[in-house]
Amino acid sequence: MKVTLNWLKQYVDFNWTPEELTERLTLLGLEVEGVHKVAGEFDGVVVAQVITRDKHPNADKLSVCRVADGKGERQIVCGAQNFQAGDKVPLILPGASLPMKPGDKEPFTIKVGKIRGVESHGMMCSHEELGIDPEAIGHRREDGLLLLKADAVVGQPLATYLGRSGSDVVYDLETTPNRPDWNSLIGIAREIAALTGNPLRLPAAGLPSGGKPTAAEQVSVRIGAPDLCPRYTARVVRGVKVGPSPAWLRSALEKVGLRSINNVVDVSNYVMLETGQPLHTFDYNLVGRGASGVPTVVVRRAAEGEKFTTLDGREHTLSAENLLIADEQKGIALAGVMGGRNTEIQDTTVDVLIESAYFTPTQVRRTSKTLGLRTDASYRFERGADVGAADFASRRCAQLILETAGGTLADGVVDAFPSPAESRRIRLRHDRTDALLGIAIPADEQARHLAGLGLVEVSPSSPRGAESEWEIPTWRVDLKREADLIEEVARLFGVDRIPSTTPRGAQGSHPFDAQFDRFMAVRRALSGLGLDEAQGQTLISDASARWVTEDVVALANPLSSDMNVLRPSLLPGLLDTLRHNLTRRNGDVQVYEIGRVFTRVGNQAREGWRVAIAMTGARAPRFWSGADREALCDVFDLKGLVEELIERLGLRGVAYARRPEPTALFVESATVSLGGKLALGQLGQLQPVLGKRLDLRDPVFLAELDLDQLLQRGNSAKSFKALAQFPSIQRDLAMIVDEALTHDAVLAAVKQAKPANLEAVELFDIFRGKHVPSGQKSLAYSFTYRAADRTLKDEEVNAAHAKVVETFRSSLGASIRE
Amino acid sequence: MSLHDRISSIKEAAAQELRAAKELPSLERAKGQFLGPEGSFTALMKELGTLAKEARPIAGKAINAAKQELESILAEKRSELELRAALPKEPADFSLPGRRRPVGRLHPLTQVTDDIVRAFRKLGFAVADGPEIEDEYHCFDALNTPKDHPARDSQDTFFIDTEGRPLLRTHTSSVQIRVMEKTPPPIRIVVPGRVFRRDNADATHNPTFHQIEGLYVDKGVTVSDLKGTVEAVFKEVLGDDVKLRFRPHYFSYTEPSLEIDFTNSLVKKLGKDWLEIAGCGMVHPKVFETVGYDPEVWSGWAFGFGIERIAMLRYGITDIRLFYENDARFLRQF
Repeated sequence: MKVTLNWLKQYVDFNWTPEELTERLTLLGLEVEGVHKVAGEFDGVVVAQVITRDKHPNADKLSVCRVADGKGERQIVCGAQNFQAGDKVPLILPGASLPMKPGDKEPFTIKVGKIRGVESHGMMCSHEELGIDPEAIGHRREDGLLLLKADAVVGQPLATYLGRSGSDVVYDLETTPNRPDWNSLIGIAREIAALTGNPLRLPAAGLPSGGKPTAAEQVSVRIGAPDLCPRYTARVVRGVKVGPSPAWLRSALEKVGLRSINNVVDVSNYVMLETGQPLHTFDYNLVGRGASGVPTVVVRRAAEGEKFTTLDGREHTLSAENLLIADEQKGIALAGVMGGRNTEIQDTTVDVLIESAYFTPTQVRRTSKTLGLRTDASYRFERGADVGAADFASRRCAQLILETAGGTLADGVVDAFPSPAESRRIRLRHDRTDALLGIAIPADEQARHLAGLGLVEVSPSSPRGAESEWEIPTWRVDLKREADLIEEVARLFGVDRIPSTTPRGAQGSHPFDAQFDRFMAVRRALSGLGLDEAQGQTLISDASARWVTEDVVALANPLSSDMNVLRPSLLPGLLDTLRHNLTRRNGDVQVYEIGRVFTRVGNQAREGWRVAIAMTGARAPRFWSGADREALCDVFDLKGLVEELIERLGLRGVAYARRPEPTALFVESATVSLGGKLALGQLGQLQPVLGKRLDLRDPVFLAELDLDQLLQRGNSAKSFKALAQFPSIQRDLAMIVDEALTHDAVLAAVKQAKPANLEAVELFDIFRGKHVPSGQKSLAYSFTYRAADRTLKDEEVNAAHAKVVETFRSSLGASIRE
Repeated sequence: MSLHDRISSIKEAAAQELRAAKELPSLERAKGQFLGPEGSFTALMKELGTLAKEARPIAGKAINAAKQELESILAEKRSELELRAALPKEPADFSLPGRRRPVGRLHPLTQVTDDIVRAFRKLGFAVADGPEIEDEYHCFDALNTPKDHPARDSQDTFFIDTEGRPLLRTHTSSVQIRVMEKTPPPIRIVVPGRVFRRDNADATHNPTFHQIEGLYVDKGVTVSDLKGTVEAVFKEVLGDDVKLRFRPHYFSYTEPSLEIDFTNSLVKKLGKDWLEIAGCGMVHPKVFETVGYDPEVWSGWAFGFGIERIAMLRYGITDIRLFYENDARFLRQF
């Protein structure tokens, strides 16, 4: 909504600077999105009078003049010859600019300067310099300065002398959807009136009476859909002369961004901006006559498939959802949205039918949306117009049409308003205001603020009681209950005046509170391990989601095919992160993400938290020495991270089972589970084919775990275990076994052997090659034996260890290397 | 030569030899030559037995004194040579880069979220959460959103293609309803989380982004409490020099509703007076009625804001998409 400072001042007095007005409106809740000053025409040009004219000492064709500008005298050097002392002329002052002419890149700005050694403090102007056609303003065309009339007031702005518009400030306001009354000059002015306490001056909208035949004799209105149009008013003005609007009207509209069309249409737009009530004007003679013999307006639902052409020339196919203003034969306007081409005001129009009606928001919104037609009228109706303003706006419109286009007003109005709603009343408990705002505002002051906004107190008493009751004006569709009145008091009292109090009160609690901490702990652990945290898009492409699962949750209304499903896994997003980095020449990436994923279970979507890791490229930052400095990440780097995390979370009995076959995502992978039963996730190496498609050159390793399960099954409780008092004894063992034998199987065999006092088993070498037959491998383990209560004897350890060796031989078929 | 003279001459020779040793092996060799079992000094000791009984104590004392002297020379020399042997072969160039063990970074959004959460927790708030896939009731109806509000439209909100056509929550405020439905007042929660709007990605929009919001319901909660808490949180998050401005606004689920602008040196640097940062207000009585709280007994406030916006302001990030690209050069700056 755009308003101007000067226009607002027609309705209310205030003496704030333009900047103060911005601040005041903002603090009332009317956000000022933009302010721009409109220069008036001929800013800085005043009427001046030449007092003396002398020859320039250094130039024959120049003269040096003393000139009165209304405030004092100035010395001006001038080259024109057509004037003498006593003449009144336009004078442009230093700092002001001449109007731009075609071909100018920037305006010419006047400065104080010396001309042939004599200072000149401004410039007297010719009509060409000002861009004025002298004859059009009733002046002589001169070769030289524009000579003004003798009665010109010295010091007066030239614009005032010529009757042109002065400077103004345009405010672009963001009005919130709950306040349709703010979409009008009067609505904004009313806020200023309430804030200043100055009265709101509504235009009188007084009309001549006696115009025969009366409106009722010339038009009839029938509302066929009162649920969609509770009120419809019609007035008739006959014998108008359609033509250009007067300057004040044109300039008012243009300043707020509307194009001037003709006087009748401009008036209806002007009144809409002024009152917030959209109006429509029809060519009276193009509205079809009904049975009564006079033009008849019928408000009805459109017929299914009915065709209608709007003002803009577009033809629409309507449905019963759309409300149509029609005559007995045809549609003549889309109610509240746009008029019809068939009854448009034209240059030849002589009789005008003024519509001022109320259409319900939902219907207008639906019509505007389905037909793709958004207009200033639909904008206002869909937010809720003021049903009480229909007649006032119609009168104001008629008044201004008479003023700008002439004609005769038919007496009276046809006002179809079958069932006016009772006005709403709301009670306000004054102490409730205080309780909610946290500050005591005297009851009288609360009442003053509400009254200032046009609310009317029902049976006021003096002294004021504990509560008051208020009748809500029709334009305040947003005021529905007590809290709404309290907000009004807060706005006018000033939210900035409500003190801040230090936080107090109840301690909050929620089950997620602890989970948030555990998420942060997981993040800190993984970042501590050297991984960077990533955050991926929740919306990903169906194709990438299907690398991981078929149970994908799709969007019903995606924006694009690369964001059409909810991620079922964090891995596609992390792969995208790797790809993004690689295309920016960073091939070494180790990242993780903690986030929500969504899987389809039956016809439902299920949410769950996951943690995922992706790594590719160099294992460690570049270093300048060492045999393995070129090493790339491998699957055991990944598994090490997973193990570290799982240990941190206090999970025991996690099993890793190699999948015998590749999957869509992995060339080689393992499932992660708790004891082989409860699935926790998976890890492995990305299919190189897929990697290549994503421009990933080095092997990529991925892991994803169900974070909900990890946290639920984990046990972060810690208890102290006494430090070992007695020395340990170590035995190393190397053996050759089949390639297929797993580390897990070895550990199982150790468990089966139940050696006494075994503290730890650690794998320290795997070897294939020399002295090891093909299809076999050498494994070397180190066994640590220790008793808690004594120093072990060699013989005890030997006996225990012999059991292990024996079990390895018998159960694993191992040949022990001595 | 008398025994005495021989003692002192061998001792001199031994001392000289020991002192002359340049490295540990030659020292050990010198030691063996004089003090070893076959050494010349050891031979002298053996001669002691051949002396007359009364001469032995004097000679013995002399030999012992000489031996002690040699052993102390030996010890001194040994430690000197050991020290020399321990010196690195080549000097370390301490200007060479070290072998780094990188510490990974928390995502900037995580860091900012954590800071905000910490600020709220100091004031007694507990972190709460709710589903990202929501129904219209919790996302809109219960929050008093008008039936035909544009946010309900498939133009602005993502809908899910499953039974009941749920939607992706457009704000974290749906969690307010979920929590109040289940928990009797008082309530004091802070809700960080992902929200979704059907906007094409550009420098200031991403279909996924993060919000955080606080909700406080208790007896006698006022606008003053709201202002006090908002100020405390933003001082913590944006620094002590932050100034806030509250101005009336409109949200369907609060009444009164306020918008919060802030300013500090950063805002001034951007050439602005104020920047919009958050929305807030007193919980609308209709919302309380919907969740079964009596608005005559309980009052409360809610306030919420975008996490990306705070992170962008804090770090001077100009494109929201950077948060979701995870470029390592980006992540490692925080």
